Amino acid sequence: MARPSDPQAMTPRKPGSTRTAPPQVPDDFWTQPRMRTYLLFDATGIVYLLVGLVALRVAWALAGGAPVWDALLRSFASPGYVIFHVLALISAIFVGVRFFRLFPKAQPAQIGPVKPPPPAVLHAVLYAAWGGITLVLLAVFGGIWP
Amino acid sequence: MADSGELRKRTFVVTRFDPDKDQVPKTQSYEVPCRPEWKVLDALNYIKDEIDPTLSHRWSCRMAVCGSCGMNVNGTPKLTCKTSLAEYGDTVEVAPLANFPIIRDLVIEMDGFMEKFKAVKPWVIVAKEKAAEEGTYRQSPEQLAAFKQFSMCINCMLCYAACPVVAQEPDFLGPAAIALGHRYNMDSRDEGASERNEIFRGEGTVFSCSYANECSEVCPKHVDPAAAINQSKLLAVIDWATSFVVKREK
Amino acid sequence: MVEVYRHDVVIVGGGGAGLRAAIAAVEADPKISVAMVSKVYPMRSHTVSAEGGAAAYVPGSEDSLEKHLYDTVKGSDFLADQDCAEYFVEQATAELTRLEHWGCPWSRNDDGTVATRPFGGMTVPRTWYAADKVGFHMLHSLFQHSMRFDRIVRYDENFVTKILVDDGVCRGVVAIDIRSGAMRMFLGRAVILATGGAGKCFPFTTNGTIKTGDGMALAYRAGVGLKDMEFLQYHPTGLPGTGILITEASRGEGGYVLNSEGERFLVTRDYGVGQKAELGPRDMISRAEILEMEAGRGLKGPYGEYVLLDLRHLGEAKIMAKLPFVRELARTYIGVDPVYEPIPIRPVVHYMMGGVDTDIRGATPIPGLYAAGETACVSMNGANRLGSNSLTECLVFGARAGVEAVAFAKGSADGNEARLRSEAETEGGRIDALRGRKKGGEKMSVIRHEMQLSMERGCGVYRKQESMNQAVAELAPLKGRYADLVLEDTSKVFNTEVLQALELGNMLDVAETIAIAAAARRESRGAHACRDYPNRNDAEFLHHSMMFFTPAGPRLDKKAVTITRFQPEERKY
Repeated sequence: MARPSDPQAMTPRKPGSTRTAPPQVPDDFWTQPRMRTYLLFDATGIVYLLVGLVALRVAWALAGGAPVWDALLRSFASPGYVIFHVLALISAIFVGVRFFRLFPKAQPAQIGPVKPPPPAVLHAVLYAAWGGITLVLLAVFGGIWP
Repeated sequence: MADSGELRKRTFVVTRFDPDKDQVPKTQSYEVPCRPEWKVLDALNYIKDEIDPTLSHRWSCRMAVCGSCGMNVNGTPKLTCKTSLAEYGDTVEVAPLANFPIIRDLVIEMDGFMEKFKAVKPWVIVAKEKAAEEGTYRQSPEQLAAFKQFSMCINCMLCYAACPVVAQEPDFLGPAAIALGHRYNMDSRDEGASERNEIFRGEGTVFSCSYANECSEVCPKHVDPAAAINQSKLLAVIDWATSFVVKREK
Repeated sequence: MVEVYRHDVVIVGGGGAGLRAAIAAVEADPKISVAMVSKVYPMRSHTVSAEGGAAAYVPGSEDSLEKHLYDTVKGSDFLADQDCAEYFVEQATAELTRLEHWGCPWSRNDDGTVATRPFGGMTVPRTWYAADKVGFHMLHSLFQHSMRFDRIVRYDENFVTKILVDDGVCRGVVAIDIRSGAMRMFLGRAVILATGGAGKCFPFTTNGTIKTGDGMALAYRAGVGLKDMEFLQYHPTGLPGTGILITEASRGEGGYVLNSEGERFLVTRDYGVGQKAELGPRDMISRAEILEMEAGRGLKGPYGEYVLLDLRHLGEAKIMAKLPFVRELARTYIGVDPVYEPIPIRPVVHYMMGGVDTDIRGATPIPGLYAAGETACVSMNGANRLGSNSLTECLVFGARAGVEAVAFAKGSADGNEARLRSEAETEGGRIDALRGRKKGGEKMSVIRHEMQLSMERGCGVYRKQESMNQAVAELAPLKGRYADLVLEDTSKVFNTEVLQALELGNMLDVAETIAIAAAARRESRGAHACRDYPNRNDAEFLHHSMMFFTPAGPRLDKKAVTITRFQPEERKY
């Protein structure tokens, strides 16, 4: 055991009758494979933060009129932005798939009289919705529809 | 049937800590001749009985139902009475449960857990208590199945040792406590879900959970606390929303 | 320096009986304060390992209180005090109902009513169950329910070493705070002992390591008699080696017990269980298994001989629905999947019918001292207990003791605190001298092991006068050697070595009373099967044995059995 946890982790409000050694985690706590996946999952939050900032930039550009808008679109063609957007897409898929996988488990057995549909149905609905919304957005931004 | 054949010598690297003598925990190694069918606990008891009587550890039932013997074995939280030595090689590291203050050797401070446990009000809350003469509640097998799984927790605290949020957020209620609160919320006899949902949205909030799922990975009783926590999130939100619409009695 | 804690009632032990007593006490009086002093956190108490079920009359069923009473009294081989057994069956339903109100997840019938299953020695199915983890669910329901009462103050991991008696009245206990090693005095106007049995006196037992007869030894040394100590229940289906319990419910759901020839010997041969076969009483089935092994029809393994429990014909679905824990235990601890293979089993020590002498109120002869649960001998189980009666017993007599303790406490007064404090300090000195006592020639594990072997040889399922006498002869010098124990751990913080030493001392005292009482009972009755006296002898031995502590050594005495409704008859099934 090498790494410290938060020094107050699992510490009772009332101090006990003897001195304790502070809580620790094993050496591989944060680096073991499942934890690595989980940390990556949580780290995508940074990507979304940046996506949010980019969205602000888009909104600002919309207000700025045609030349500002055109400049924005040109900047999105730069390698940096392309890589960023690909990364954002991969993050979204990674998080989406993991979330969808856990989704059936997160349904209570019953809410009042209502029971959740079986996992297969839930998965089908989630992926259908995701796919459907993606297609609609592509159509809208591609200028195909409406 | 399990055979008692050849003895195998294994080295156990065990955490030692005596607050009267040690500033910080250290490790001590022991050579133990292990029988093939032994669990980790058998080796620890051998150490205590035959090699070093000063080793302190908790255990009782040795059948994985009392929850006393949780420890980190080679970095993973395990019930030592249930964990076969056959899973390990020549060296086995035994450390106290992660994320808990250490009292002595392999014994951790449990009262932090007991506080969180009590905080979720783990008892049947009803407006009007039923008298024994009135008989039992009717509960269908289906209603029982809605919470049964979450009632199987033996309070071994392995989930707390595995949880990255517990490692970083001292206020987090934690997997077992939330699973227990959820068990009562889902019990058809209980009427206290609103009270518990308020607790679930409060200081130790269930929303601190970010789906690591480590708790369910280590749970020896397949309680699936991750499911309980995430189910609780949905129910806590619904409870919050309906609280604006439906008047609540305190 | 002794820390002092003052409460109205002090309960030693936080298992089924202790928790139920605490709840009953605070419900009896809204102002009362209860100390619950346990050497482990309550959810670790050994109640947790019980599997099969808890018996009570189900209203509206074909059962009746009279039938439950008769089954219990007959099961006890007519040694039960029938007034106590009658009180028990009368209270049973209400107790299990209360537990249900407190959240216990009893298994259900389709119509939502509580389900029952057949159990050994019961003429009608009346065993309420929660899959096959009834003790776990019961204990957790009780513990969680008890948490609503702020007036139940828990002192977890405090080991009681002495009962305080002043002016002939019980005034509290002395305990070690296991964590810091500090000595504490818990003053109360009534004390309830609920510390369980002493299976760890034996090498193969279903019991966990904490079952060391602490409460029995405490009461014994305080002058209370230990009643019926010779009656030890050997559970017929324990795993060889570990002794881990495979519940009677596996037979209740239809399992078969087979010998090495694949024969259902409880059916094909006459072992006194008649039509009940695998659902006969535990003492008879354990004896049948031993006789089969002695006849050469047992199987041999690294931990001795065994027979088989066959659940294959039940099918995976039924096993997973009704006996999932059994499957898990068999796979984890003996490498056998009961869906495909029979489970090796043999009789192992499971329960003590005997214990601290109490009456129907849970009161010992010392005013202010009570006992309940396996620690106590009321006696409602007599010479043999029926499966699923003991969990209900914890509730019924735990509740009674709680109520009676409160009533007594209200009328009682405090003892002389200075005198009690000085006693506690002397006790603290004794513990300090024991802790880390490097001088001494005897190793604890050796003495423990020898004690266990003596008890196994002398007080097994079948006993011979000679072997019982030998056990008595072997235990006395062991106590002498115990005085010469060497202890290595000088630390005060969470010193489990000194606790083990104290537990060993308790076990030696208890083991001695078992062996002497067994050697004195020259008959066979219930679980006490003596080869030299194979028949029941009501003329000379229809009484409870009593063991009293004296400085010169244990003194044997007897106590009459209360017989009300059912005159002793031949015990045939």
